[in-house]
Order: sequence, then C-alpha cells, then structure tokens
Amino acid sequence: MESVKIKKILDAYFEGTTNLEEEKALQNYFNNGKVADDLVQYQPIFAGLKAAKEERSNKAFTLPKSKPKIIKKQWYSAAAILVVAFGIGSFYFSQPHYSQEERDALAAFEKSKNAMMLLSENLNKGAEQLSFVQQFTVTKNKILK
Amino acid sequence: MDKTEFIALVMPYKDKLYRLAKRILVSKDEAEDAVQEVYLKLWNGKQNIENYKNPEAFAITMTKNYCLDRLKSKQASNLKIVHSNYQTSENIEKNIEANDGVEMVFKIMESLPEQQKIVLQLRDVEQFEFSEIAQMLDSNETAIRVALSRARKTVRDAMIKKYNYGIG
Repeated sequence: MESVKIKKILDAYFEGTTNLEEEKALQNYFNNGKVADDLVQYQPIFAGLKAAKEERSNKAFTLPKSKPKIIKKQWYSAAAILVVAFGIGSFYFSQPHYSQEERDALAAFEKSKNAMMLLSENLNKGAEQLSFVQQFTVTKNKILK
Repeated sequence: MDKTEFIALVMPYKDKLYRLAKRILVSKDEAEDAVQEVYLKLWNGKQNIENYKNPEAFAITMTKNYCLDRLKSKQASNLKIVHSNYQTSENIEKNIEANDGVEMVFKIMESLPEQQKIVLQLRDVEQFEFSEIAQMLDSNETAIRVALSRARKTVRDAMIKKYNYGIG
C-alpha cells in the first residue's frame, strides 16, 4: 500500500476517527512488509500493540467446587423460625390453664368471697352502733359511784 | 447453568481479561489474582450472567472495576503494586524478536492515565468497536474517542521524542 494513503489513515488514527478495518490496515502495513522511511518512527507503536495482544497467562483459573451459599441461606431462615416458634410457645405454655370445672369453681369462689365481704361489712356497721351503748355505761358509772 | 457450560461461556475471555488486568495493575501476579477473583464473582453471580446480553462485555466491565478498586485500595494504604515480572524462557524468546521500541511503547502505556490506558487496551489491542467499549465503560462513544485520541497522541509524541534523540 502506498505511503500517502497510510499517512492519511495515520492522521485519522491519531484523531480517533478510524474504524477497525483501517486500523487493521495500519497494523498490517507496519508489521508485515517494508515501511517507508518517513513512517518508520511509527513502527514500534504498532509492533508494541501487536506484542501486547500476544500476552497470555499460563495460570489455570479455578472455580469453587460446590455452591454452599444458597444452602446456608435456607438454614438461616429455618433456625430463625425455630427460635421464634420456641419463644411464642414458651410464652403460651407459661400461662395457667383451667378446665371448665375448675373455672366454674373459681367463679363460685369469687362469688362467695364477695358475699362474705358484704356480710362482714354490714356486721362492722352494727358493731359501730354498739359504741353508743358503751356511752350509757360510762355515764351510769359517773352518777352511781 | 452448570460448571461446564459456565466454563465454556467465560473461559474464552481469559486472556483478554488477563491482559486488561495487567495493563491496569502492571504486575503479572496481581493481574492473575484479579482474573481469578473476577471468575469467582462471575461464578457466584452466574444466575445473572445469563441475563446480560453480552457476557464478554460484562466480564470486562467487572475486571476493570475490580482492578481500579484494587489500585485505589493499594493507594489508600500507601502501598504501591510492585511488579516482579521475572523473565521466563518464553519471555526471553519474545524479547529477542521485540526491539527496544516495543519496550518503550509498553513503558509509555504504563504511564498513561487509567482511563486512557483502558481505552487504548480495549481498542488498539483487543479491537473492540466503539459502541462495545462505551457499553463496557459505561460511557459514550465521543468520550471514548477523545480519550483514545489523547492516548494515541501521547504514545506518538513520546515515541517521536525518543526517536529523534535516538533509542538507547
């Protein structure tokens, strides 16, 4: 390829306006065949770019064998459910439980307790009134010495 | 997706990812670690990779981000990645055919800003289309062209300077 044409592509190349085909043409021109004297200074650039593409790593890249992450996540949620269930359960079972018969007995007990209280209250009222009777005794003792 | 499918899908990019990582991190060991790490991440997120239209671009974006993060964390802790790219027999062979000028180009490329380095690597070494590079770098084609033009001119100017003074 004539150097004039290459020069033109080269100018476009440095402006970043070449397409891949033109760049390939530049690569070919500078890497295979004779380079014109006034362009020889650009040759190392393309030789360098070509060499850069030939770099390879000999290392074998490996992947982990299993996928433990997904399994673990499920176990986390299972454990959380267990803890919550245990909490709710222990709260529930700590409350006292009565059968129908026991509840009836308890209600009767309350009722009779109330009745007793009423009785004793009225009894105390009566006892208060007795203090007036006491007053008679005191006065009688003053007179009849 | 099982392991063999996954490997068939992503392993062809191995060398491209490695070259990009090495371009950014310079050190051979660091680059290999980076590629290994990217593969682990891809494997862990393999449910997602099928959703991406272009797994290659996705892998390259991941490599780029990982390497830049790595670079940043090294700088933050005041460490510099020191490369000890020892010569193996195959490297020596390569160096014999490559002349001083090629080595110069590598040195100049090392000194470019990260973004320009990446663009130059993806375009001039790996020969991706501008639209692909824009997608990989989450940028637009104009910005890519500008960065590329700057990178190419920097390389050219540095080379011409050396050429005029004479190499070596």
